[in-house]
Amino acid sequence: MIINVENLCKTYVTYKRGHTFWETVKSIFVRKKILVKALKNISFSIEKGELLGLLGPNGAGKSTTIKILTGILFPTAGKVESYGYVPWKQRKKYVAHIGAVFGQKSQLVWDIPPLDSFYMNKAIYDIKTADYKKRLNKMVTMLEAHEIIKKPTRQLSLGERMRCEFIMAMLHNPKIVFLDEPTIGLDVIAKEQIRIFIKEMNAEGVTFILTTHDMDDVEHLARRVIVINHGQIVFDGQMNALKNYLGTKKVVRLATHEKLPVLKKRGVENIRMLSEYEAELELDLAKIELNRFIKTINEKNTIRDISIHEPPIETVIKKLYE
Amino acid sequence: MKSQVKIYLTAFKNALATRMAYRIDLFVSAFIMLVFELIIPLVTYLIYSSGAGFPGWKFHEVFLIQAVFLLSKGITFPFFAGIVWNTITQIREGTYDLLLIKPRNILFMTLLTGIDIEDLGKLLGGIAVFIFAVSQVPDPGALNWVAFILLFVCSVIVFMSFAFIMAASGFKWVGNFRVYEIFEALTSFAMYPMSIFSKGVQILITACIPLALMGFFPASLILGKPLDWLLISLVSCVFFLVFSIFFWYRMLRSYTSAGG
Amino acid sequence: MAFVTYKEWAAYRSHMLISLFVGPVQFLVQVFIWRAVYTNQTVLNGLTLEQMITYYAVVTIIHYLVMDFAAWNLHMLIRTGRFVTYMIRPLSHRFFALSQKVGHRALGFVWEFIPVYCMFFFLFQLTLIPAHAGWALCSILLGFMMHFFLNYCIGIMGFWLIRAEGVRRMIMIFSMLFEGVFIPLVFFPLAVQKVLFFLPFQFATYVPIRVFIGSYELAGMSFELPHIIAIQAAAVVVMFFVSQLLWRLGVKKFTGVGT
Repeated sequence: MIINVENLCKTYVTYKRGHTFWETVKSIFVRKKILVKALKNISFSIEKGELLGLLGPNGAGKSTTIKILTGILFPTAGKVESYGYVPWKQRKKYVAHIGAVFGQKSQLVWDIPPLDSFYMNKAIYDIKTADYKKRLNKMVTMLEAHEIIKKPTRQLSLGERMRCEFIMAMLHNPKIVFLDEPTIGLDVIAKEQIRIFIKEMNAEGVTFILTTHDMDDVEHLARRVIVINHGQIVFDGQMNALKNYLGTKKVVRLATHEKLPVLKKRGVENIRMLSEYEAELELDLAKIELNRFIKTINEKNTIRDISIHEPPIETVIKKLYE
Repeated sequence: MKSQVKIYLTAFKNALATRMAYRIDLFVSAFIMLVFELIIPLVTYLIYSSGAGFPGWKFHEVFLIQAVFLLSKGITFPFFAGIVWNTITQIREGTYDLLLIKPRNILFMTLLTGIDIEDLGKLLGGIAVFIFAVSQVPDPGALNWVAFILLFVCSVIVFMSFAFIMAASGFKWVGNFRVYEIFEALTSFAMYPMSIFSKGVQILITACIPLALMGFFPASLILGKPLDWLLISLVSCVFFLVFSIFFWYRMLRSYTSAGG
Repeated sequence: MAFVTYKEWAAYRSHMLISLFVGPVQFLVQVFIWRAVYTNQTVLNGLTLEQMITYYAVVTIIHYLVMDFAAWNLHMLIRTGRFVTYMIRPLSHRFFALSQKVGHRALGFVWEFIPVYCMFFFLFQLTLIPAHAGWALCSILLGFMMHFFLNYCIGIMGFWLIRAEGVRRMIMIFSMLFEGVFIPLVFFPLAVQKVLFFLPFQFATYVPIRVFIGSYELAGMSFELPHIIAIQAAAVVVMFFVSQLLWRLGVKKFTGVGT
């Protein structure tokens, strides 16, 4: 076991701001306290070399969990042991062994090339020059980043920047890496490149914990998934098991040149007509094959546009409660 | 220690490279920083040139107080005071967390990211003003110079302590850049001869917050003027530093146990 | 529109607390300075100690009534390109910024001006009553407008100085100095005073304060209150047209480049 979490709780206080004029004036003198229970008794453990997906809608407690596991936040109650340390108590020693990539917070300095930022990390983590060169070379090759690490960060595209963020986070050879929405806003090719990188690093024994609300990410990467909602774990198990929960549903968005026919048939659910020519619906592939569905539509109409998605995470959670 | 110095130098180099990306603006800004600091000496000069002044103090003597103050500020601002702006911005954008996942002392990490190249203008200006001010007064002798350096170190310590306290307030008081105004208001007591203030204020700026150490005492030493209350100032200087660091860690703790 | 900004500001209670601290403390330092300076004389550059202390007290409270962030705001709008959204609205941005300022200053009046006025009254025993209330009010209103147009022009310079935050700050500092915020303008050498008389800065702060005290003097010239207010009004009108002209030139330059 590399990480063990027992009965983790986190409660904090925020202040309410009024909306009416008088509430605003009043808030200048007294503010109303609100108690937020971000985590309620969470327990789980992670084995070395796992690639775990941590799922949940916004505000469910994902970030709070990650912040506690990375030693940024103190919990209110509960026990955590990660790589033999208590993160918030032995922070300095502990964080030397972990890495993190936050999709929306850059570790790179905006106006200088990533290479200079890497060099800064070399000094901070006290990485030996030989190791530094070896690891940098290897990752730069894996991510095809030879040119981009020499350009000022501000000139890089989001995908190029994320590749550099990964190098930055892994130069010191971390044993555990936390990824918070690492593919947010990336195009398909960039996503794929980063997913391959994560998989290869995972194969070398690095433990990854991935937070996201992109089902696609989880499906491509994680074998085990934990779903958090309202500060509680609502699912902890294999990716396949979660898929069983979901059944074989796909979300289809369909647009045609002629008026849409009546779509009601076996396996087609939750139809939402966006206009006479456009609709969004759920397909149950166990009951109707994708091929057959498209064929029946094409018989009477010409498809102008079609897109097929995984159901959003909110649907997954709704299913888990049913 | 050796690796700490290495990290600091790397960070300094990076900060310089970052700021050099817009170098025209950098030079102008650095110059403005200096001009801004020269306003109080200018106002003092205008008072003296109108035939008035502070009783018992000639212009070049008051100017020396202000020069010591500016030199000390010139050392503190590029290397320490940037943490105030830095902490407030990073807390607001949520990037302060990134410092907490580095395996180093967090105050050290904060100082690293707070290096403020623009304020080197203050340092250059401070050095120039100080050399000019010293050239206007008689040489106090080698022994007094040694004593001056000790007092000057205390002056820098008081500035640093202020920086820690202001930065600490940034943990709770998200987005309030006006803490600088409080600092400017308080330190305006430090740029004039102590004798112009009432007894109550004199006690406050020596025993309570040792503002008098920021310029008045080191300058008085060079000028050979009396140094009443110096001892108590030195004691409170130590207390002020200890308090500021304690307060900083206290506020950090409240940040790390707040919500996410 | 003014109400919206009123509400958005009311959220910042710390803002008010800082104002209540900074203004009076800076004023207190001035009191000590001038008491010491006046130990050997009764009149300095035509001002008595009482007038001098009133001068700085009025500088402090008038600041809450006339200051604004128009320069900074406009500069940011231009730099980020967001000012374009104002060009397609039926209202001019200048009018929008002005009503925003009215809202902010109404707030400043309640949360900063009145509390600090009371502090001066109770703590410093200063009764700040203008020599001629009507003229003082006129002059403060004109100062309000002058300040706005002045800052607005500084903001418009963002069209030419997009990457030069430093230049803007320098102009701001000099405009404060030449407005008489740090020291009454009569302390400058006579030649400088003569130049300052013809610059717009004095009409923003210095003139209202002198009108408040009841005697105007600069560059060796004294004016009756109605006369200097008439000059002030004329200066405001001129600045209005200058801001208009600068705006046109700025927009032309912007669209000319075609970014």
